[in-house]
Amino acid sequence: MLFSSISFLYYFLPAVLGLYFITPAKYKNLVLLLASLFFYFYGEPLYSILMVFSIISAYLHGLWINSAQTQKLKKAAFISSIFFSTGALLFFKYHIFFVNNFNSIFDTSIVPLNVLLPIGISFYTFQILSYTIDLYRGKVNIQKSLINFATYVSMFPQLIAGPIVRYSTIEESLDKRTHSISDVAWGINRFIIGLAKKVIIANSLGEIGVLFNSADEKSVLFFWVAAIAFTLQIYFDFSGYSDMAIGLGRIFGFRFLENFNYPYIAKSVTEFWRRWHISLGTWFRDYIYIPMGGNRVNLLKWGRNILVVWFLTGFWHGAEWNFVIWGLYFALFLVIEKYFLKNLFAKLPSAIGHFYLLLTVVISFVIFNADGMGEAILNLKGMFGLTGAPFTNAETIYYLKSYAFIFILAAIGATPLLKNISQKLTVYASAEKIFNVIKPAVHVVLLLLVTGYLIDGSFNPFIYFRF
Amino acid sequence: MNKNIINIILVGCFVMLTSGFMLVNTIKPDGDFSYFERRKLLQPPGYSPEKLLNGQFFSDYEKYFLDQFVFRDTFRGLKAFTRLHLLNQKDNNGIYIIDGNINKIEYPLDEKAILNAAEKLNQVYERYLKELNVSYAVIPDKNYFIADKYGYPSMDYDRLLEILQNNVLDMQYIDLFAHLSIDDYYRTDIHWSQEKIIDVADIILAGMANRYPASDFEYTEKELYPFYGALYGQAALSISPDTLFYLTNAMLEKATVYDYETMTESKVYMTELFEGVDPYDIFLSGAKALITIENPEAASDKELILFRDSFGSSIAPLLLGGYSKITMVDLRYISTDLLDNYIDFTKGQDVLFLYSTQILNNSFMLR
Repeated sequence: MLFSSISFLYYFLPAVLGLYFITPAKYKNLVLLLASLFFYFYGEPLYSILMVFSIISAYLHGLWINSAQTQKLKKAAFISSIFFSTGALLFFKYHIFFVNNFNSIFDTSIVPLNVLLPIGISFYTFQILSYTIDLYRGKVNIQKSLINFATYVSMFPQLIAGPIVRYSTIEESLDKRTHSISDVAWGINRFIIGLAKKVIIANSLGEIGVLFNSADEKSVLFFWVAAIAFTLQIYFDFSGYSDMAIGLGRIFGFRFLENFNYPYIAKSVTEFWRRWHISLGTWFRDYIYIPMGGNRVNLLKWGRNILVVWFLTGFWHGAEWNFVIWGLYFALFLVIEKYFLKNLFAKLPSAIGHFYLLLTVVISFVIFNADGMGEAILNLKGMFGLTGAPFTNAETIYYLKSYAFIFILAAIGATPLLKNISQKLTVYASAEKIFNVIKPAVHVVLLLLVTGYLIDGSFNPFIYFRF
Repeated sequence: MNKNIINIILVGCFVMLTSGFMLVNTIKPDGDFSYFERRKLLQPPGYSPEKLLNGQFFSDYEKYFLDQFVFRDTFRGLKAFTRLHLLNQKDNNGIYIIDGNINKIEYPLDEKAILNAAEKLNQVYERYLKELNVSYAVIPDKNYFIADKYGYPSMDYDRLLEILQNNVLDMQYIDLFAHLSIDDYYRTDIHWSQEKIIDVADIILAGMANRYPASDFEYTEKELYPFYGALYGQAALSISPDTLFYLTNAMLEKATVYDYETMTESKVYMTELFEGVDPYDIFLSGAKALITIENPEAASDKELILFRDSFGSSIAPLLLGGYSKITMVDLRYISTDLLDNYIDFTKGQDVLFLYSTQILNNSFMLR
């Protein structure tokens, strides 16, 4: 089920909210769990069994780790847990990739199994791993309640497209949490903003990609328009989803960490990754990079650590080589920045850093968005006029004009400009009063607009569902 | 205002909207048909364990919710207004409006489809029409007149005609492009307006060497109001409706229409269909695979075979004066292979292929 769907907004959500808030505190997790299981079952009926299996497996392994009498047994339980969790992910997400590459290398013709990627498997597997690893390390306490543990893993606000909520973040809230009208209002506010970002901006920008793919003659400018549109689309799509998840979490009394912090205002790739998909970046940092030694090792090992982390970051996004290249592309820039550009950019105007970052990111998303490396190279060639296409044509100009306002809106929305203005204005009591009055009206209008877009439109995929 | 009150108002509005719509949508009886979209609305999907497990059941329900949402047309209008006027986008679902004239972007030119259309014409010619006087004409869509001027993409019409002229064999081309203008079409519909195309009928008749031009006949102009054309519903915005005109006279009133599919007779103008799904159906009862119009008062015993799309319905009455019988074939609904079961091609008829650019650009629907 999509957050941006009529079934979620006007059936599932009001029903679940009503049920949740009339249920006594000790049964609230059960309500949330049942709602989450239905939410997942609605989109992935068959694979619900896989998720339930993963939850029970991780829960039992948690009990085993906790009750192991010796360090050896504890380690065995831990390895077994990791094996089952990552085994499911490797099989369902990556086996076709491995089989195809094996066939290519060894000239065999093994037919991969016809299994589809279960929605959200990368997200809930990483959540399970965070619990297991932290439990093994003694950083979190055992969760003895299967209902509470299953609620953590399957909680519908962040189940299928993140953010990756670590068990330690909501450990206490799972057992005991408070609800307040201000939290619910804050959550609704955040949810509606995320919904509008997704439906009105991201989906509109996504149309450009569809138009680009169906265009007969693609001009150089159209290659750039499509690349920039996707760069903005993926931000508004994914950060919009994160906003909705964080907002819904708050409504139910959970405080999820932020997942985005205006990444496109960064001045370097290093800074960009501190602001983009923060929950994934910190996950790899804390569970892979630092345990391998991080940067407190010799140069060779540091290079290995960087390669491993960014290979995995790319590979996490998809079982295709272009995702791996995408991850390694960032690794390359991180190394270059550390040794060369960092000092150089410190001396140059910040606009140059911004330009460098945006160009690097736009190109990265061309690789990311392509259907394989062949298409990525073709699109990059197109952007740099190497396909013999004209610089522009009437079609490009038409779409550029038609989507100009959306581009401007998206560009402004990708910066903290509006947030800063509103914060400055709220210093004045009269401005704050006006904000307070118009806020509910704006939210009602946005919700109605989104409803109109959903009813009239058919273009509504979440990009991060495929990861 | 106290911040807590603001929070209560915000939460109250959200709860009222989401649960209110849930309640209304649940108790509201399902609609059967969308007049503006001219289609049946989805009904609750049937259940089967297989559909449930493969996801089809919920996916069908999602579409059903969209179709049956209360105030559906109002929400569609809200979206169209936002897109066109607030976000300043140039079209909404390919629909754009210039001075109250609604247009649908038809772009790009599908050269393979045009070539296929040419081959289809040749195929029909080779099989049935070798001994006959055969012509073809193309009706430009409204974009031809308006798109370039206002910066909208439109198909390459010169290329379309070039492909046809290079590939359609043994037929005479009758040019209509130069004789039409945007004013000859309805504002809310894709079609031309019958009272504006008498000159076009004359051009066609002259092209086929018929000696009885449409302009030689007297007509009474009758009107029906309001006419909400096919594009009106797609635009989803409040635009003043058209008036539908039709031209009649004693000859046309005596003419009889025979539908081979239903084996029934009817009149040229079926005004009772004006209140139906497509008011344009008043012309020869709308889309039909194969019909004939018999004209007992014809000035000659010549016959015409008209291969046509929906544009043909409104021009055929204007061509009727010079023919005792017009056989109208819509290849979207009847296969070429079946034609000689119904039509005798040995009577020296005139033959006209009359297709709009939209149909030619989507010609794979021709059978």
